Amino acid sequence: MLVRFNDRQAFPVFGSSRSFPASALRRELDRLFGDLERAPTFGVSVSAGPSVQFEDTGDAFRLSAELPGISEKDIDIDVTAKALTIKAARKTEVPEGYTAHRRERQGYSFTRSYELPSQVDPEKVQASLKQGVLTLTLPKVAEVQPKRVTVSASA
Amino acid sequence: MSNQTQEKTRTQRELTPHVDIFENDEELLVVADVPGLDPNDIGVHVDLPEFRIEAKVPGSPDRPVVYTRTFRVDERIDPERVKAEYKEGVLRVHLAKSAAFRPRRVAVQSS
Repeated sequence: MLVRFNDRQAFPVFGSSRSFPASALRRELDRLFGDLERAPTFGVSVSAGPSVQFEDTGDAFRLSAELPGISEKDIDIDVTAKALTIKAARKTEVPEGYTAHRRERQGYSFTRSYELPSQVDPEKVQASLKQGVLTLTLPKVAEVQPKRVTVSASA
Repeated sequence: MSNQTQEKTRTQRELTPHVDIFENDEELLVVADVPGLDPNDIGVHVDLPEFRIEAKVPGSPDRPVVYTRTFRVDERIDPERVKAEYKEGVLRVHLAKSAAFRPRRVAVQSS
């Protein structure tokens, strides 16, 4: 039996509409992916821990983590030559005398450990906390820092 | 106070910050997690019945990222007395209620 394409039902995902013009489909997809793009600021990722970026700048590793509402005393950082552990916690409370209408900001308490791709000098590690962003600079030991090799032209 | 959503074209990436909203007799207090900003890049706009937070995230100028969130507040707010502070990556906006709507205790006098 021959089934015309148009006789089929619309994608089950989108369910409701019978005719589904391309523009509507695109709008729906944009909406879905738009939501995904924003996902990092919603629920799960926040409760699972902070947003962390890790980069290799050549002679050092740099880590930055978003930790709003945290002060220096709420963070513990332990570094060895090959590993890094960050512990942080915050509580969110209803200020005294207020009633809450909405509470989306969650308290958290987490410990994260990272194995570093190469050795760092624990004595030279620097940490700063600025407006809720923790930045760690972990200089590599001299032996693993990249070296430029000059090519000498043979005579 | 409720979220107001509206459709618009996206030219920049928009992040929706998490907020807490509190109220007491004097004011509404909106607390938002918006880490890593320059305080000069934070905009708090009160245009009743709308209240909007908008802040530019530093970084890539080719693809701007902003924190934005719009709320509808009722008319009890005095737009002249809105205060905001930014500390540890957390924005706190105090929206004072108009005097006429603040509860007043009335003493009952015995005759």
